[in-house]
Amino acid sequence: MHNFEFLRMVNIGQYLPLNSLLHRLDARARIILYLVILMAATFTAQPAGLFLALLIVLVLLRIGRIPLNFALRGLLPPLPFLLILAVLQVFVSIRPPSALPLFEFGILKIYASGLVSAGMLLLRFCVLILTLSLSSFTLSTSEMIHGLESLLSPFSRLGLPTHDLVMVLQVTIRFIPFLAMAAERIAKAQASRGAEWGVRKGNIFQRVRQVIPLIVPLFLTSLRRAETMALAMDARAYGSTPQRTSMYTMQFQFKDAVAIIFGAVSATAILILGI
Amino acid sequence: MTAALIEIEDLWYSHPVRGGEAIPALKGINLRIEEGEYVALIGANGSGKTTLARHLNALLLPDRGVVRIHGMDTREARFHPQIRSLVGMVFQSPEDQLVAAILEEDVAFGPENLGLPPAEIRQRVEDALEITGLKEYRQRPPHLLSAGQMQRAALAGVLAMRPRCVIFDETTAMLDPAGRHMVRRLMRRLHEEGLTVIVISHFMREAVAAQRVIVLNKGEIALDSTPQQVFSHPADLWALGLDLPLAGRLAIQLREVLPDLPPNLLRSNDLIAALPPPPFPVKAGGGSEPDRPVLPPNGFIRVDRLGHTYLADTPLAYQALEEVRLHAGEGKVHGLIGSTGSGKSTLLQHLNGLLLPQKGTVAVGPFDLNDPTTDLKAVRQFAGLVFQNPDYQLFEQYVGDEIAYAPRLKGEHDSLRETVRMAMEMVGLDFESFKDRLTFTLSGGERRKVALASLIAMRPRVLLLDEPTAGLDPRSRSETLRSLENLRQQGLTLVLSSHHMEDIAELSSSLTVLHRGRTLLDGAAEEVYSNVSLLEEHGLEAPLVTRAAARLRELGWDIPRCILRIGDLIEHLRRNLEAPHA
Repeated sequence: MHNFEFLRMVNIGQYLPLNSLLHRLDARARIILYLVILMAATFTAQPAGLFLALLIVLVLLRIGRIPLNFALRGLLPPLPFLLILAVLQVFVSIRPPSALPLFEFGILKIYASGLVSAGMLLLRFCVLILTLSLSSFTLSTSEMIHGLESLLSPFSRLGLPTHDLVMVLQVTIRFIPFLAMAAERIAKAQASRGAEWGVRKGNIFQRVRQVIPLIVPLFLTSLRRAETMALAMDARAYGSTPQRTSMYTMQFQFKDAVAIIFGAVSATAILILGI
Repeated sequence: MTAALIEIEDLWYSHPVRGGEAIPALKGINLRIEEGEYVALIGANGSGKTTLARHLNALLLPDRGVVRIHGMDTREARFHPQIRSLVGMVFQSPEDQLVAAILEEDVAFGPENLGLPPAEIRQRVEDALEITGLKEYRQRPPHLLSAGQMQRAALAGVLAMRPRCVIFDETTAMLDPAGRHMVRRLMRRLHEEGLTVIVISHFMREAVAAQRVIVLNKGEIALDSTPQQVFSHPADLWALGLDLPLAGRLAIQLREVLPDLPPNLLRSNDLIAALPPPPFPVKAGGGSEPDRPVLPPNGFIRVDRLGHTYLADTPLAYQALEEVRLHAGEGKVHGLIGSTGSGKSTLLQHLNGLLLPQKGTVAVGPFDLNDPTTDLKAVRQFAGLVFQNPDYQLFEQYVGDEIAYAPRLKGEHDSLRETVRMAMEMVGLDFESFKDRLTFTLSGGERRKVALASLIAMRPRVLLLDEPTAGLDPRSRSETLRSLENLRQQGLTLVLSSHHMEDIAELSSSLTVLHRGRTLLDGAAEEVYSNVSLLEEHGLEAPLVTRAAARLRELGWDIPRCILRIGDLIEHLRRNLEAPHA
């Protein structure tokens, strides 16, 4: 019985420290590489572009030494939702007025264009999920934060509080496992006093109703913790000098430039194939 | 005259209360602390210790009066970066002070805030990790560290700012003996290296280790002297909500029968070393009765070969319990002892069906937890579990509603008021004055009492308590232990977990000792404690009374092998002294 293992449901930031070529790239290069591929896969309009994108992501997974079956397993949880979306897509997709249905079941007419767009939707989501998993496997949260901080630094000259924004992101990531654990403890405390947690019965409505009394103590404990953390940050002189520095010095090397060029070329190819 | 490290003149401070009258927390404090001092700041819960400490690095600013650090007035914001790097602070709750996603970055957080160059930061981080012994964990995310490691990490983050003074604000309260020991050693080391160390603590033995003890009472300095002086008037301390260190208390009681014991023994090792041999040879068996046969507990609660793995079938899986055995008798107090991470909480959660056995068997009273048809709600009502941290347990606004939660769910209406009153009286909370208080305004000790009362209101037959005394001041601690004894006399069966033997030795008649998820020892208390060497091998300490008794036996006194209560020890010594000479 895993009813109380809330941490199990949290999958964000599953970093695999594998020390591959991809892992050794400058964090900024990786962020840009993944971003352009994500964008290209989102906007390409033809199956050929998507297949190319899929191929590129599979190659990158290989370079990153990520076991393929491990990466593909990440597709399983959202699959039912994707299938439902795809089925809907079959019926609602736009088609040329002259198109003839492939099959007809009473009022349900299935057109070739509908099948194609359903297939594309599935493929597109698979590519997007794989790219996101790839970035999670190869980019640790700290690398992501420092990379983002550096990439966003030009904006701080425009007066945007980029340091603070990145700090917000960092603290948020720190709080995710905490929230899961706190929710688990509160649920257990309530179950110990007769609430219906983790009893071997209960339908979906009862389960949803249980969540409500969880929220108040979860908020209270989170606020209290946030307060302590703010105090601890204050005590360590956060915000007392305008120019924060970083322990990490990032070095942009030749291989990083190659990675970005590779990203740009692939993205262009994906988009051109998709016209 | 050069400026002292810390100078406080007539400091007044009140906590602002929204829409209400401000509560005065500090009333006219005058204090001077020089470079390199080792100061302990003690006082009951709510005496203003933390408030005072937060003035020392400008987290709070005085309402009236002046606080100067190296001559810099804390009210001037331009000094704050300097003041905060001069005076570092380590807080009580381990996980709330770590900001970054991995340990080494967290250590770098302070120096980064000071705007130091990267190479300098790197150097300081290396040094801080070295001193705190955390080098091998540098890449870990904070939530995967143990509580002791987190506190050391917090200290490393402070040290990386190269402070002249470190304040430890109840840093050891949430740690197990091993973690506590490690942090205490670091405190001593920092002092030896010339830093000023200020320790806020409820552990009197941490105060004894300091050179100077400042006692706060209701926002005023009540005593400010050496530990020897401060601890020479036990009655005054008790009135201030404090107590002697354990060794001191034991010494006073022993002096009744051993008048030659030197006065002012405050450390355990000093006490043990000072114990005298008998004034004349004592014949074995002359004074004491033969060892009583020890009966095993009757098995009201039975756990055998229990195994549990968290997050099974994921990369994060880890085994918390393996081959665990626990047998506890009805109407008795059973102690569950082990360090952090030894599996105490996991085991307790099996005893009220929050976790179900993956391997092995669990039976609690009439319930068999291996039977899938067992009514889990009935089990949880039969065996109530009180968690360590009351924050996670209190979810109603008012104390009365909180305690009425469980009986209300059961459908009680007419007798609700009486049930709540009964539960509150059992834990020593006055019904009339507490029922309408807001739960989040209560002190730590009061919150624990409410959490306990809210379970008692369910009228369970078994109470399971996870670390019932951790983080309480000496007075609240003995009050809690007294109400637990009270509950046992009402016929409840209690299972208490703790990482101190001392805490529960007085109460429990049987014990289970866990080590890394396995049962090390399980049986009657006398039997368990007689394995002193096995306990010490696993980083656990037998209670001081037991150790003192063992030493006296070595010296030639006729004392049975295992003594758990001070009263028994004194009784035996007395009989020894009264016995006809051989």
